[in-house]
Amino acid sequence: MSKKKFTTIYCLSLVIPLLLLIFPLFSLGNRSTPFIVGLPFSVFWVIAWIIVTFLIVLVMYSLDPDKDEEEVQ
Amino acid sequence: MAAWQIAMIIMIGYLVIALVIGVLAGRNQDKSSLDEFAVAGGKLGLFVMWFLMGGAVFSAFSFLGAPGWAYSKGAPALYILTYTAFAILPWYIIGPKIGKIGRKYSIYTVSGFLKKRYNSRVLPILIGLIAVLASIQYLATQMKGMAYIFNIMTEGRIPFWLGALVSYGIVVVYVATGGLRAAAWSDVFQGLLMIIISWVVGLAIVNQLHNSVSGMFTDLVAAKPGFLEIGNQGSAMSPTAYTTTILVSVIGFLMWPHLFSKSYASNARTIKKTVLVYPVFALFLIPLLFVGFAAANVVDASLIGSPDEILPYLITAVLSLPGWVYGLVGAGALAAAMSSADAITHSASLEFTDGVIKNMKTNLTNKTTLLLMRIGVFVIGGLAYFITVFGGQGLIALLLGAYGSIVQFAPGVYGALYSRRITGPAVIIGLVVGTFVNYYFQLVAASTPFDIHAGILGLISNIVLVVVISSFTQPKSMQMADEYRKIG
Repeated sequence: MSKKKFTTIYCLSLVIPLLLLIFPLFSLGNRSTPFIVGLPFSVFWVIAWIIVTFLIVLVMYSLDPDKDEEEVQ
Repeated sequence: MAAWQIAMIIMIGYLVIALVIGVLAGRNQDKSSLDEFAVAGGKLGLFVMWFLMGGAVFSAFSFLGAPGWAYSKGAPALYILTYTAFAILPWYIIGPKIGKIGRKYSIYTVSGFLKKRYNSRVLPILIGLIAVLASIQYLATQMKGMAYIFNIMTEGRIPFWLGALVSYGIVVVYVATGGLRAAAWSDVFQGLLMIIISWVVGLAIVNQLHNSVSGMFTDLVAAKPGFLEIGNQGSAMSPTAYTTTILVSVIGFLMWPHLFSKSYASNARTIKKTVLVYPVFALFLIPLLFVGFAAANVVDASLIGSPDEILPYLITAVLSLPGWVYGLVGAGALAAAMSSADAITHSASLEFTDGVIKNMKTNLTNKTTLLLMRIGVFVIGGLAYFITVFGGQGLIALLLGAYGSIVQFAPGVYGALYSRRITGPAVIIGLVVGTFVNYYFQLVAASTPFDIHAGILGLISNIVLVVVISSFTQPKSMQMADEYRKIG
């Protein structure tokens, strides 16, 4: 994968969870009930997408074409 | 022994350890090296870098403001989690690039970065001034937090001026002697302390008030319907305000000089790995929000001075907790405030020296620059201290305006990184107008159109001006514009 392509995929894949956490899409999660794992739906929604984001970054890092680049000083 | 005595001993013990770690970290390093003082020689490792970035985010606001938001506003406090998790993500892409540009041209500040690309002396002076004013505001907030914590945990025995003086004095000493490396290593200690304390104390409070987390939320939803939703009946914030507050925080975060400049302090791989593990920091804020939610239907708002006092109030007045808990919370809050204060004091001094002084008086040697930076740490520290203790309304308005204006650096920075068309005059005019618009809507106007955050309104005018003016001006140095775009 080229560097440019990686940057594009990185940005797109992380904009999606961000959009789900701001309006208008946050309307999907903006409600107190039902409770999930003891949390109100809105609180669960935010925490769950943050965890997904963390996982996306992990995957992205493993795909990064120059994560091991050694800089030439 | 009385609770306040135990609390005071623990907090003083914490302060001594923080001082020793800070001073020791700077030992055996080259004291005459500007590079070492400014960016720790560009060689900070992952572990330290992670805490340095995290410590900067975990501030007095996290310990006092976040529970306060959750307590008084409910769901809007979730914005803190969202922005903490997302604001760091662009750093994965831009951090290594900024670092490479910095190493190539020996840059270690935001002002230096923009000066080189836009070939202007006005721009770095503007950036330096805004950065210093904004930093002083930030520091004053941290210091108020520290002084307040000292005061309340010792049941009023340590006066406000003394608490601020002692805790911030220690920060100034280790930053002036050890530079970035000292700030970084004390942040590791402070970071670990506040993470552990926030989880232990946060969950202990929830369990004492409501038995369990789900019990707490069940009570809360029954007592205050709509409190955990945004924009609906019973909510404290509109959807537009919530969304634009998140956006302005996400865009502005990396523009803060103390975070931006960390790009120079490490290599690409360390930066990427820091981003990788960073969202975990957002999760450390959860127990602090829970503290606020736990109190929302228990403590009456008229009993406390301001929502920010909810965590200390719960510990000292509502719950019968032993003295060592006072001490731990005190130490945790001090750690949070100090780990932000050190990085900000350091970078404010760098921006002022590099952005303002060096562009007014151009023939400074590296030795003089380094000396000025060390002196700057004391001057900025002193200013922030006097503003905290003595206040002054007009001054506070000026500082607040600057604080909200940091996000206005974004068009200039992203323009430098990704476009060869953006020109210096465009960035300067955009910055000035954006800052003015933000200032007007934040401090003068009673409300903003559609409830949009003042910073976003400033940013929109800023971007429009930058694009329009760039289209009919020429960059001074096409070669430098190309260089910036190509590196990385």
